[in-house]
Amino acid sequence: MTQKRRIGVFICHCGGNISDYVDVAAVREAVSDMGEVAFAETSMFACSDGTQQDMIRRIEEENLDGLVVASCSPKLHLTTFRGVSRRAGLNPFQYTQVNIREQCSWAHTDDRVGATQKATGLVRGAVARTAQSSALVPLPVETTPASLVVGGGVTGLRAAIGLADLGLDVHLVERAEQLGGQVASLGATFPDQREGRAMIDELLSELDARAHIAVHTESTITAKSGSFGNYDVTLQGPNGQSVTTRVGSIVVATGAASYVPEPGEFGFGLAGVVTLEDFTRGIESHAGRLHFRGQPVRTVVYVYCVGSRQENGNEYCSKYCCSAAVHASVEAADLDPAVRQYHLYRDIRTYGRHELSYEASRRRGSVYLKYADDDPPVVEMGEGGRLRVLTTDRLTESTPLQIDADVVVLVTGLVPQQNAELTSLLHLPLGSDGFYSEIHPKLRPVETVVDGVLIAGTCQAPKTISESVASGLAAVTQSGAMLMRGVAELDPQVAVVDHDACTWCGACAAVCPYEAISHQVISARDVAVIDPTVCKGCGGCVSYCEAGAIDLLGNTDAQVRALIENLVEVRA
Amino acid sequence: MTTLAPRVVDPHLLADLQRLGAPDVSACVSCGNCTAICPLADNDGTFPRRLVRYGVVGLREELLSSKELWTCYHCAKCSESCPQQADPGAYMAAARRYAVASYDPTGVARVLALSPVASLLTLLVLAAGFASILSVGHGPASHARLDLFGFVPDATIHWTGIAVMVIVFLVALLGLGSMVRAVARREGVHGRELVTGRRGWAHGLRAAYDAALVESLGQRRYREDCSEGAPEPWYRRRWIAHALTMWGFLGLLAATILDYALALLGVRATGTPEPVWYPVRLLGTLAGIAMLIGVSTLILNRARRVTTSVTHSEPGDWLLLSLLWLVGASGLGTEIALYVGGGPAWGYGVFVAHVTLALELLILVPFMKFAHVLYRPLALFFHSLARAAAVR
Repeated sequence: MTQKRRIGVFICHCGGNISDYVDVAAVREAVSDMGEVAFAETSMFACSDGTQQDMIRRIEEENLDGLVVASCSPKLHLTTFRGVSRRAGLNPFQYTQVNIREQCSWAHTDDRVGATQKATGLVRGAVARTAQSSALVPLPVETTPASLVVGGGVTGLRAAIGLADLGLDVHLVERAEQLGGQVASLGATFPDQREGRAMIDELLSELDARAHIAVHTESTITAKSGSFGNYDVTLQGPNGQSVTTRVGSIVVATGAASYVPEPGEFGFGLAGVVTLEDFTRGIESHAGRLHFRGQPVRTVVYVYCVGSRQENGNEYCSKYCCSAAVHASVEAADLDPAVRQYHLYRDIRTYGRHELSYEASRRRGSVYLKYADDDPPVVEMGEGGRLRVLTTDRLTESTPLQIDADVVVLVTGLVPQQNAELTSLLHLPLGSDGFYSEIHPKLRPVETVVDGVLIAGTCQAPKTISESVASGLAAVTQSGAMLMRGVAELDPQVAVVDHDACTWCGACAAVCPYEAISHQVISARDVAVIDPTVCKGCGGCVSYCEAGAIDLLGNTDAQVRALIENLVEVRA
Repeated sequence: MTTLAPRVVDPHLLADLQRLGAPDVSACVSCGNCTAICPLADNDGTFPRRLVRYGVVGLREELLSSKELWTCYHCAKCSESCPQQADPGAYMAAARRYAVASYDPTGVARVLALSPVASLLTLLVLAAGFASILSVGHGPASHARLDLFGFVPDATIHWTGIAVMVIVFLVALLGLGSMVRAVARREGVHGRELVTGRRGWAHGLRAAYDAALVESLGQRRYREDCSEGAPEPWYRRRWIAHALTMWGFLGLLAATILDYALALLGVRATGTPEPVWYPVRLLGTLAGIAMLIGVSTLILNRARRVTTSVTHSEPGDWLLLSLLWLVGASGLGTEIALYVGGGPAWGYGVFVAHVTLALELLILVPFMKFAHVLYRPLALFFHSLARAAAVR
């Protein structure tokens, strides 16, 4: 760097959050003498509108090529000051935020001298680091206007239709012979009483009406390569034939499976002890009386939270089962108003409109009995072939009860699908519960850490049909946002290889979690090549490279070394 | 964790209660608003919510062994405050109906409670029966003076009355037996303890005094706690009307028995003409008027639905009120016939009607709403014992 850098430094009081414990004037003095520093100032609130305007003016007037703001955590204001830089015509990657609040003033309220010394070191380090920065520009990539939907259940079907309506080409891949998934076999659903089959049939006819949806049933994904915006995916069909297609995004909607109780779990295995799914499929009315699988039913007992919210099992709430069981009891009561139904629950979670169903169920005579976590109901075979359920009614001073029942319905939840191959092929992140995880549950609810790979429906967590479809459509929107412009911008803070230094030992490729590193012959030497569209800038390869041939843009070795040296200098 | 043997749930209990007029309490969420507002829930934070829950869940034995069933005066504050409109007050009334039907070993009470037609038929058959007993071998209807006992021999009346009393006594004893056994077992009260030692006697007598005098006759909590606010004139308050009815009925019963006792003692033959100020006659007259006023007020209140507690009426409610009113009115009619002189022919008819209706009323005591005169004092006795035990 021949020409001397011109860096502006702002040191924030944060009201008194910083200046009460750090002598900000002394810090300003201590950095002013650095050669690269064009000016250093303190301000009461660096993030205030006035100071931001001031910064823009100073950047332009002083013709700065670097900016340092010493204030709070970058989690709070990194994007704020990068925005300030951008508005002032300064490359945002030449801005550095120094955290002298959370990591300095708040941590050292008892040591003003030490805190001031530490802040000085941090700011001088940041200036040195900024002096080594270079302007980076986001990487533009052209994207393919096509999407792959994995899973032909209600979520996948709806997503495929939505993607097609955006004008994208859609490939819908389904492992099973038939489309429709779990919903296809459901009975009447809340609130409009539509059967699952009817909803799936409606979606299938919508699917047929769209020309650019290619359906691949009895097919699996066998290979995936490429990067965000341009994934090459190989699908294998029922007869072993393979087809490779290029898509811009992948929507994973592989669903969940129903929990199957262990033998003996709440009497599972005894005649008349059935899962909720089996119960709803098997009930009908003969001459106004409720029958299950042809046998008359007078008393039904539901046991909730089977396979969900278990301390040493599935700890999560399956969310849909309370509503489904409550709705089933309304259905049963409508078939036969004289049927007696007892619900043994832990907490009734019929949120939103399902609360109406809960009310309807109670109005139809369903009795709700809450059981304690440490006192679960016991289901056993009683005399005369009737089931006997033992529980406690906490609302009558813990009266122990025996309910004689014809059918005991185990209200089972959802468990993750067994999809190990797909999971590793797409690098899908698994949560501790075995479901796929999104980046952020509120703000980025369908995106994964793999760009362009989205998750929707119950592969992410147990959901109701409405929630599943909503997340499917969120994935549609997100795909549209990524692909409709035809070009995407990628974060430029990626790893780069110095081909002269690289000896291609392969260590970097082995450690890369994103398969961004390959090798090719350049200038007659086998060297590592990093695809910037795949690299996430994690830096893993940098530390493994013995030749020191890899550098991470935005956090180069030179930058980090300069930072450390200046920090240590002050401490000494 | 409790070690009690599990109670077998009766899935049909609520349907049974509803057949006896219980409102649909399925909507009850056990929130306890009824308990919070109930003036009687003083030493029991679960009343009446717990009793509603018994019905919802199907705990029949628990319901029938609850003394609290009978301590309630149906002020209906709970029904007014119930956020689910489950009407716990009306539920309690139906539960008492259910209890009367369940304690009665003959099944008659259940039939009467279930079917207004059967009730009417029973009334007619009984009336015909008693009327024919009275008219068998009747004497001349003198027109010089109203010679009632010349018309119907007093022996016929007395022996029929005694037979009715014996039947009522036996049936009542059986009903009370099942009620007392159930409640005593539930409360952990042993009869022997109440007659053992000074303390046993003291507790028993104290409870009996509370139950019979302070609460049953004195209606202390009815007056003090369960009387609704006073938007209406004081003389229409439920407790006053009830007290007039009860005291009037007891006065009439006392006058009748005294009249017979004096005859047995040979002081004075039944049916001897006497002036209106004669003590026994005066007692009967005043008691009859009191009862008529009380019952008429209750009837008017119920017909006009003046309070929440009488917005809903079952046939059994009207049956008791009508019988009491008719007995009172026919008695008064008989007395008027006695004093108008000349022995009018209608006087004999009214007299026969009066005796017939009185016998009907008596014989139906254990089988209808009137049965609360049997069960309530005993429940109050257990209630008083429990309160004393809680204080100790």
